[in-house]
Amino acid sequence: MTAFLLNLATLAAISGILASTLNFIVGYAGIFSVAHAVFFGLGAYGGAQVALLLVPDPFLACFVAALIAGGLSLCLALPALRVRGEYFVAASLGLQMVAATLFAELKPLTGGIGGLVGIPRPEIFGTVVPVLPLALAALALILFLTARLQRGAFGRTLQSIRDADSAAEALGKNVNAAKTLAVAFACAGAGVAGALYALHLSFINVESFTLDQSIQIMAMVIIGGTGTLWGPLVGAIMLLSLPAVLSFIPFIPPTEVGAVQQIIYGLAMTLLMIFRPAGLVGDQTKGRSTS
Amino acid sequence: MPGPKIGRRGALAAGLALPFIRPAIAQTAEPYVMGSLFPMSGPSAEFGEAFTRGAQVALQHIAADNLLRRPVRLQSEDSQALPQPSVVGMNKLISVDRAHWVLVSWTATSKAVAPIGDRAKTIMVNGGAVGPDLAGLSPYFWNVIALAHLEVQVMVPFLVRQRNARRVALIYVDDPLGDGILGQLRGTLPRHGGELVGSFSVPRAAQQFGPVVARVRQTRPDAVYVASFGAQNAQIVKALRDNGVTQTICSYSAFGIDSLRTMPEAEGALFTSQKLDLTGAHALTSRFATDFRARFGQPPLVYHANYYNAAYLFGLLAKQVETAGGTVNGDSLRAAMLATRKFDLVGGEGEFDEQGNMLTQMQVNEIRGQQFVAIG
Repeated sequence: MTAFLLNLATLAAISGILASTLNFIVGYAGIFSVAHAVFFGLGAYGGAQVALLLVPDPFLACFVAALIAGGLSLCLALPALRVRGEYFVAASLGLQMVAATLFAELKPLTGGIGGLVGIPRPEIFGTVVPVLPLALAALALILFLTARLQRGAFGRTLQSIRDADSAAEALGKNVNAAKTLAVAFACAGAGVAGALYALHLSFINVESFTLDQSIQIMAMVIIGGTGTLWGPLVGAIMLLSLPAVLSFIPFIPPTEVGAVQQIIYGLAMTLLMIFRPAGLVGDQTKGRSTS
Repeated sequence: MPGPKIGRRGALAAGLALPFIRPAIAQTAEPYVMGSLFPMSGPSAEFGEAFTRGAQVALQHIAADNLLRRPVRLQSEDSQALPQPSVVGMNKLISVDRAHWVLVSWTATSKAVAPIGDRAKTIMVNGGAVGPDLAGLSPYFWNVIALAHLEVQVMVPFLVRQRNARRVALIYVDDPLGDGILGQLRGTLPRHGGELVGSFSVPRAAQQFGPVVARVRQTRPDAVYVASFGAQNAQIVKALRDNGVTQTICSYSAFGIDSLRTMPEAEGALFTSQKLDLTGAHALTSRFATDFRARFGQPPLVYHANYYNAAYLFGLLAKQVETAGGTVNGDSLRAAMLATRKFDLVGGEGEFDEQGNMLTQMQVNEIRGQQFVAIG
């Protein structure tokens, strides 16, 4: 049981990083990206290659992953500067599709659909260490930085951009710089999550970085509560642990196990959104229909 | 007098307690646990159901023959054919259910769970995925299905000699499976007097094949080899026939599923599989076919047989370990496999190599009148 719970906790912490970083651009800056899995993937491939080709040092892997994902976040920042709302969703969707295809095709770097196998487990000073404490430390750091940034001038600038970017610009805010920085921070965080994911699973392929994954991360943010510090983390734990809990239901016939679990899972999500429209942690005065 | 009331919190607490009921019951019987990690939801659920049915009949036989001193319980987990749910499921099977033996499928799933099974020294047996890169994943990872590159070596001589189909075009999914088959066709066809006249890769998620089929037609092939899997196989077959390709369609064992058997466009298609003569004199095969029909009301297919073999092999090996007075675990089961190597399984004798790959006789099948007919 312990190993099962530790594995779930590790994946929850990694998902928590993903959800928290996406929340930073969705909840605070109003940039609705459905391409977060791209940066998760970039970090995973970057971190995996460091571990495979150089040394399985988790800090180096995370640093390289953050650098790659944060650096290439311009791919997302550029459309974010030019379009907004549903038009940006379409732009990020395109980026997601292009990236997933590249992940499948750049075989020397990504292993193609076959993926990268045999990624060594992380080592610090020659000792193999579990990913969980590293993931928890990274999550804590990202939550701390998010809280600090949110309360400071940068956070207020982002929130003003989210609410009315023209007004923010008229008040002298550098909208382009703020958006670019927000996207870079969120994508670098997603990259770190990717490196930790690769080191934890020892195997990655494109199937973990598709549009489905991006939507799953977005669902974590919305279900937990957008624009809140703890909401995305709660959403990540909820979305990850619910299928695991459902797998303990004893009376489902083996051939029906998947269908029954998916139905219960879907129903739970629907009911949750009906009764907690602003998410589990969000302000419940928001999100309800006024009609 | 008002009766006891169960509030929402009480109902929630009862619901949370539900998962712990089964282990309390299970501890009294102490069965061996056989895990299965198949896609049980989503577009590949058809495969997961087929795999499970094969294993269920094997467990029925193990129990009926009193093969083992302890019962065997099948614990199913939904892999969704994706790496992350597979890893969660595998961790549950190993650390919560204490699985002695895990049936796996799908290439990505297999690769994702192999390190976990390797660390826990739990035997994992694949009977569905055929990617050539699955050989040698771990000493505890075995294959009871011929990997795809071996199937090509059977199909090519049949095409050239029996069907006089020398010009072969290939439509293949862009992954290790497709790449493996492409490499094999390039090497095998010239050796038998054939020629690979064109090879066309398709993305894994593609659903429209009109342009690819047009290019296939331009190569004027005698046969078209389809190397994909899941629902994409059926979509490619339909696209070929809808766009006027009348030549022979051929493939590997992934064609051995009901959705293709009953598809009018797949009539006449050829595919290789492990030898499975349900009407022959082989006792275990006949018994399997009879009991499968009785339980599920349909004749068994190759995938059913593969996972029957994957599950029944546990019974044979665990019996050996029990008889020798040992403890049934990954190491003792592997030692028993390496000591014996040859086993009487559905379809005939299967022999394992050092890496745990089963070598068995192959056959060529044709989809004829919505039936799979062995023709070579």
